[in-house]
Amino acid sequence: MVEFRNVSMSYDNGFDILKDISFKLEPGSMHFLTGPSGAGKTSLLKLMYLAKRPSRGEIMMFGRDVVKSQREELPKLRRRIGVVFQDFRLLDHMSAVENVALPLRIAGGTGAHINEHVEELLSWVGLADKMSSFPSTLSGGEKQRVAIARAVIRRPDILLADEPTGNVDPEMAERLMYLFVELNKLGTTVVIATHDSGLVEKIGAPRLHLVDGKLLHLEGSKKSRDMHGGSE
Amino acid sequence: MRNSFNFLPNEKSREATKLLPWVMAIMVYLSALAATGSLLLHSGFEDWASSLQGRITVQITGEDRDQITAQSLEIQKALRETPGIRSVRILSDEEISALLEPWLGAGNITDDLPVPVMIDVETSEDMYVNLEALESKIKQLSDSVYLDDHAKWLTHFYDLAYSIEFTAIGILCMILIASVGIVIFGTKSSMSEHKGTIAIMHLMGAHDQMIAKAYQKRFMIYGLKGGVIGLLLAFITVFGFLNLVQDLSGGLVETPTLPVLKMSMLLIFPLLFAGLTMLTARITVMRELGRMV
Repeated sequence: MVEFRNVSMSYDNGFDILKDISFKLEPGSMHFLTGPSGAGKTSLLKLMYLAKRPSRGEIMMFGRDVVKSQREELPKLRRRIGVVFQDFRLLDHMSAVENVALPLRIAGGTGAHINEHVEELLSWVGLADKMSSFPSTLSGGEKQRVAIARAVIRRPDILLADEPTGNVDPEMAERLMYLFVELNKLGTTVVIATHDSGLVEKIGAPRLHLVDGKLLHLEGSKKSRDMHGGSE
Repeated sequence: MRNSFNFLPNEKSREATKLLPWVMAIMVYLSALAATGSLLLHSGFEDWASSLQGRITVQITGEDRDQITAQSLEIQKALRETPGIRSVRILSDEEISALLEPWLGAGNITDDLPVPVMIDVETSEDMYVNLEALESKIKQLSDSVYLDDHAKWLTHFYDLAYSIEFTAIGILCMILIASVGIVIFGTKSSMSEHKGTIAIMHLMGAHDQMIAKAYQKRFMIYGLKGGVIGLLLAFITVFGFLNLVQDLSGGLVETPTLPVLKMSMLLIFPLLFAGLTMLTARITVMRELGRMV
């Protein structure tokens, strides 16, 4: 599903944010991406959701070398990836329903079918009464749930989430993690970047641990490997 | 076919480009004025020039009115016998007075004024008239006869006409180039303002064409709105000026007439500018997006 081979990424000033990263994620696996602030978690996710290209190395996604892919080929690949951004990145001029419907509309969906599907998901994440609300009127936790609903609405092959439970209460965090686990069980490969060690322990999925731009280890309990099919 | 929908904030919201329709209105206004001016001058030049082509004016001056009148009759006869001359007509005193009135004022043309006798000669289009030979022939009848085929004046006239027309075309081209520049600037400004939205669209799998379509549609509407407003203002200005000229000309100059068919071509200006803004916005967006991952 996803394979990084000796991938490095530098910023324009020459600073290496990621150094010689190699790993492989099997289809239907679930991983946590951990590490201290500035370790390169968000940069690694950016490479995975095709927002950046690496300075060196190969990235294989869905059987394609995305580094060598033409720009025109990327939109099709991106539609198979769901992303929950740390800063939500909701479109302020669109309501919650419109924001969540965005991936479906980009993919060419139209009509009542979209709204029905979107409203069902928003109800599930506890936003039934916020369907028509605009992001500026939503709390941090509500925005996060809209962002998560937007990321999963098309049931992506890969779900990438950057601190997806950072702004919600523990009960909602557990509910959202349950959503991710359920999606994973349905076959979606899930990668969650988080600082929440309790969450990592609770779910017990394998970890990609970054320190200073280097992938130190892939680890996970045997239980989690059995549960999530993670590779190491 | 790739789908499209408008993901950009609506036009009522705060946006740097909301002044663009007014800028385009000014551009269309200036373009329409330049084009109308060119058309009016062209039409006027054609009318004036065609009224002079194929005509010769013979002027007999002198203080002895009886003598120049007698000479004019002899010259008229000689002219009528010349091959290639279709008609010869001595202008009446009333006609000459009418010609002089705008310059001297009504009632100021008195009998003691040494007004020349003028003969209007129309040449045939089929035959060539040797003007030098004709002049030397009628000079034998009167020393104070002058022959004018307007050639020198017409040459200057055409030079002026072409200069004005080329200047108008140059102004039009400059306005178009400036408009393209403004649209590029506006598009880039709008893209910069909505870069977060564009990034999200990209990351969710939107093709460049989908993003470009939203922009080209928006900018086409800007161009169309501006075009219609600008053209209306231009028409109001042109008709206003024509009315003023009509009121003030008082026979000194001929009031230019609007070539309706040619003027109707100005109706394509709003469409032309809408197309120009649409195409410019599309190319700009595609080029800018091409720099992204």
